[in-house]
Amino acid sequence: MTIALALPTRRVEEWKYSDLARALGDAGFGEETARARVGAVPAGVEMFALDEPNRPDWVKAHYGKLSANAVSAVSLAKARGGVALRIAKGKVIDQPVTLEFAGQGHVRALLVLEEGAVLTLSERSDPAGTRNIGFEIVLGPNAQLNHVRLSPVSDAVQVEEISMTLARSAVYRGHFASFGAKLARVELDIALKGEGAEAHLSGVSVLSGDRHADVTTHVTHAVGRTQSTQLFKKVAGGSAQAVYQGKVTVAHGADGSDSRQTAKALLLGGRAEADLKPELEIFADDVKCAHGAAVGDLDADSLFYLRARGIPERDARHLLIHAFLEDALTDIANIDLRESVRGAVNMALGEVAA
Amino acid sequence: MLNIKNLHVAVGGKEILKGLTLRVDAGQVHAIMGPNGSGKSTLSYVLAGRAGYDITEGSIHYNGEDLAALPPEVRAAKGVFLAMQYPVEIPGVTTMMFLKSALNAQRRSRGESEMDAIGILKTVRKKAAALNVSEDMLKRALNVGFSGGEKKRLEILQMALFEPKLAILDETDSGLDIDALRLVAEGVNALRAPERAMLVITHYQRLLDYIVPDRIHVLANGRIVAEGGKELALELEAKGYEQIVKDAA
Repeated sequence: MTIALALPTRRVEEWKYSDLARALGDAGFGEETARARVGAVPAGVEMFALDEPNRPDWVKAHYGKLSANAVSAVSLAKARGGVALRIAKGKVIDQPVTLEFAGQGHVRALLVLEEGAVLTLSERSDPAGTRNIGFEIVLGPNAQLNHVRLSPVSDAVQVEEISMTLARSAVYRGHFASFGAKLARVELDIALKGEGAEAHLSGVSVLSGDRHADVTTHVTHAVGRTQSTQLFKKVAGGSAQAVYQGKVTVAHGADGSDSRQTAKALLLGGRAEADLKPELEIFADDVKCAHGAAVGDLDADSLFYLRARGIPERDARHLLIHAFLEDALTDIANIDLRESVRGAVNMALGEVAA
Repeated sequence: MLNIKNLHVAVGGKEILKGLTLRVDAGQVHAIMGPNGSGKSTLSYVLAGRAGYDITEGSIHYNGEDLAALPPEVRAAKGVFLAMQYPVEIPGVTTMMFLKSALNAQRRSRGESEMDAIGILKTVRKKAAALNVSEDMLKRALNVGFSGGEKKRLEILQMALFEPKLAILDETDSGLDIDALRLVAEGVNALRAPERAMLVITHYQRLLDYIVPDRIHVLANGRIVAEGGKELALELEAKGYEQIVKDAA
């Protein structure tokens, strides 16, 4: 079997706006050097390197069980290494844990939060290296994960599939800040499997030049009384392309589910593109679901108002772009991580709205 | 201070102002009254420098300088202020942050040193109290969820803060109840000064009971058709615009 053949083409609906095969070219992912690094490991966090022999039972129990799509199947087959982390039952980790991916090729990660465990995870990505990350996250009952993923500007092809399952009353908050790559994509497949489970997703993208960033989500309300919110804001200049595809499925019988999806894009260049596609698939009767998407330019009335108060045009534009992104940024609970994303946004805005 | 001569302005190719001439000197308060569609808002926007308002003929001079050549932010820094009829809502920017950005941008443009956050906060609080602008309003996003009266009070607070030389008030009375109107008028009257000129644009005579102008100009169909002292407002109220315009013809 040639695994490369399993990569999706643009004819696959979910990959319509991200031409992976073309971006990879003949070189493909190249030699396998990809790895996952964990910063300081605080007490209470168990770590296992996936290239080591003798996997512990908790790794065996969860590794490779959630992977959903073709691309993560490839990483599962090809990855030589990666990392698995576990927070044992009831452990609350105060310090954020940093997980960084580097190198090229395929790499895996597994994160297990047992019942009542609490963690803040800061995910970083080295801009160098064509890379495919497969990340599985298992949240036990009442577990809480705050996850902030910051992917800096890159000239490479960088894709990641995050597959996640949430048990009863588990709460996931994820923020995805992306500044674009030759092709950048994060795909989230989230299953709310226990009553009271919640997933809150937010993200900002600031893209210039001919960069691309794709956030694709699929949230499944498998049982009732589950909640999901999504708020994605994108700013694209030059000939950049921002993609959001968000599908929410409410399964048969998942009554009392509550889902909201918002995606908005600001296009600052005549050749910039935004593809926003929220989608609902509802099989239950008694649900609250709302979705919306909007693409536009900066509001002329607002721009005039600020300038008429003495704020120069360039500063006024920056102020309005910040204002546009603000509600997605305030979703980041950890102040230090929020400020680091804000710093990255400021840098990227200098380029996009010069 | 403000000298408008034979001003013709087109919006989207349609001529709205058709030869307006007006002179306002420092220390004076002039009122522009006129029916809907007479060109009142066009006048206020063209003075503030809004894009899309094309001067096809005539001139606007402000302290001897050609105002039309300057972008809106430069006009603001030079002391031109427009209290808008419809202040915009900007989610994601707090009122306080906006005031600070605007004040310091104007100071930078004039070559003055920036004020620090604490200095600005003190100044804003003092002026806000007089206009019944609450601390809560300053913390909230600019104009978001503000009532009509709150928005207008915030416009006047900005005027008090920026201390312009030429203040243009575009239908500042619209949407205000009598208490809010009185409060706003008091704020405006407190800013009357020998070095400051004001242009009060309104449809109704009501506002002029509180802000008594030195001179009233009636704008109809893009031109000043009648002028007079404060008594002209009462005449307008009694006779209506139609009759005044007819009398003037």
